[in-house]
Amino acid sequence: MDTQPVIVFTDVTKIYPLDAGDVVALDHLSFEIQRGEFIAIMGPSGSGKSTLLNMIGCLDVPTSGDVIIDGKNIRTMTDDQLTELRRDVLGFIFQQFNLILLLNALENVQYPLILKTGETGCTDRCKEVLAAVGLTSDLWHHRPGQLSGGQQQRVAIARALVNDPEIMLCDEPTGNLDTKTGTAIMQLLTRLCREQGKTIVMVTHDPRTAEYADRVIMIEDGRIKEEA
Amino acid sequence: MSSHRLFFGLAIRNLQIHWLRSLLAAIGIIIGVVAISSMGILGNSLVLSVSDSLTDVGDSVVVTPHISFQGMTSTGTDKRITDRQLEQIRRASGNNEVVPVYAGGDRIRIGREILAASIYGVNPQDIPTLLNLETGQFLRGASGVMVGAKIAKENNLAVGSRILVGDEEAGVRVVGILAERGMGFDISPDYAIIASDQWYKDFYDVRGYDQVIVKVRNLKDIDQVKNSIDAQLNRRETEVNVYDTKAILETILETFGRISTFTMAIGGISLIVAGVSIFNVMMMSVMERYREIGILRSIGTKRAEVRSMFIYESLILGVSGSIIGGVLSFLGGYAAIAVMLQETSYLFAFSSLIQIPYGMIFGVATSILSGLYPAWKASDLRPIDALRHE
Ligand SMILES: Nc1ncnc2c1ncn2[C@@H]1O[C@H](COP(=O)(O)OP(=O)(O)OP(=O)(O)O)[C@@H](O)[C@H]1O
Ligand SMILES: [Mg+2]
Repeated sequence: MDTQPVIVFTDVTKIYPLDAGDVVALDHLSFEIQRGEFIAIMGPSGSGKSTLLNMIGCLDVPTSGDVIIDGKNIRTMTDDQLTELRRDVLGFIFQQFNLILLLNALENVQYPLILKTGETGCTDRCKEVLAAVGLTSDLWHHRPGQLSGGQQQRVAIARALVNDPEIMLCDEPTGNLDTKTGTAIMQLLTRLCREQGKTIVMVTHDPRTAEYADRVIMIEDGRIKEEA
Repeated sequence: MSSHRLFFGLAIRNLQIHWLRSLLAAIGIIIGVVAISSMGILGNSLVLSVSDSLTDVGDSVVVTPHISFQGMTSTGTDKRITDRQLEQIRRASGNNEVVPVYAGGDRIRIGREILAASIYGVNPQDIPTLLNLETGQFLRGASGVMVGAKIAKENNLAVGSRILVGDEEAGVRVVGILAERGMGFDISPDYAIIASDQWYKDFYDVRGYDQVIVKVRNLKDIDQVKNSIDAQLNRRETEVNVYDTKAILETILETFGRISTFTMAIGGISLIVAGVSIFNVMMMSVMERYREIGILRSIGTKRAEVRSMFIYESLILGVSGSIIGGVLSFLGGYAAIAVMLQETSYLFAFSSLIQIPYGMIFGVATSILSGLYPAWKASDLRPIDALRHE
């Protein structure tokens, strides 16, 4: 297996230019994440956690410095190439679940797979993944609005997993869930890391959630405060 | 690519969710297509009906006396073409046939029916040059008359019927009924009585003709004939007016062609309105779905794919509206020409029916055009900004 780190930040700065003055969201940040690691990113509100995660997720580009994802420098890539990277290598899990409201659970999971393969008849794989994240088959044809938060998050995880990504990115995955459901989701993520070797980068402000991680990166004012 | 099925499906679902405004936008397109197509059908039918009733008179030069203001006060209005002028016209016309015609109108009685009719006096030998026979026979001698197709039909005239002209009680016998010909710039026989020149001259006691018709054998000569008559007769002062029916015909057809373009343009305006309404619906759709667009982009949907999803939406509106509009255009066109022309057969002419696909193409094109900017706008959103949108 590849021993290169799967995520490399070198001297990354992100500045949001605003009328009231520039906001430095990330301030000369450098770190590496190895394949198969479970990382938690913590820090106070406004410290730059989401900005950091979005940059790993190729949703945002640095003002300066280099971000290398799976061996590719995202600054040199076109919009389409970044989109393909999101589709094939990255899986997103958001605090607000962000499912496609027009589609039912199964169709939400099918969506990225159809995008990637162009084939519509791939329901077996999707059902397999849905079953693996613990969504019972009676719910597969429900729309997101007809599912509980925990069920929606399971669908979101299935959707993130269906293209077998290298990296899973989670922004407060349990933020909108009660403790019991949150624990179940965290156990699921841990299992994915241990059994399938996924690299997981998770933003959280909850120390108990962070305990599931192998390593915690603390950031404050856009800088790494400590790693543990 | 079958992932396009995915975007097509999403487009349909979104239209279904907002079915009312989708319906309204499609109705806009329907109205636009119906307006443009039925106006096109109407305009085209107008041109067809005009050219239909005028085609066979496109080969004549018509000479009429020139009536000036001066002429009216000094010699009265019944200025006529004299025998001398007729000779000049014959000379100027070369070997083309020249038909002098008396023309007037009178009160006539058919049985107990009293009506007004045009009455022409033409040399019996010349009648076959100008007109075609339906039933009976052409005039031979001075007595007897022929009647136009419509006056015959509407008054149940047949060969042998008797018509009383003016106050005379003697009356004339119908010997033949003419084929329908439509309105002309020379003579309009459908509601007329055609008598011999001799009868007309005796009956009305006139000298000189009301018009002279030159049938030009070769259409290329028509300008030359016209100019040479003009040169011969109007040397010193304008004595006669010389019309070229081909030129009149062309002017009229051109005018009607322009009217039909104009009516179609009016239809086009309603299509522009429809375009604006699709644009509006699509912009609303894009703005409401900022967040969804962000989600789609974040999980690997390319710009072009987002664009295609929105183009599909406006295309579905445009195509469904255009198909329904096309069907209704058939009815709309039918109604328009039934009301305006009292004649519906022109609807089935190729040049009329083709207006329907034209209208439909305009409808689809309008919907695509009005969907382009919203689709581009949707695809150009930065995913990070779109995701943050509440
Ligand atoms: N699009 C933007 N435009 C301007 N400033 C921004 C933008 N996004 C983030 N910022 C600023 O960058 C800084 C870091 O924001 P970020 O969202 O990364 O914080 P966070 O650590 O995720 O906070 P929280 O825990 O509240 O989610 C903040 O000061 C924020 O105001
Ligand atoms: Mg955040």
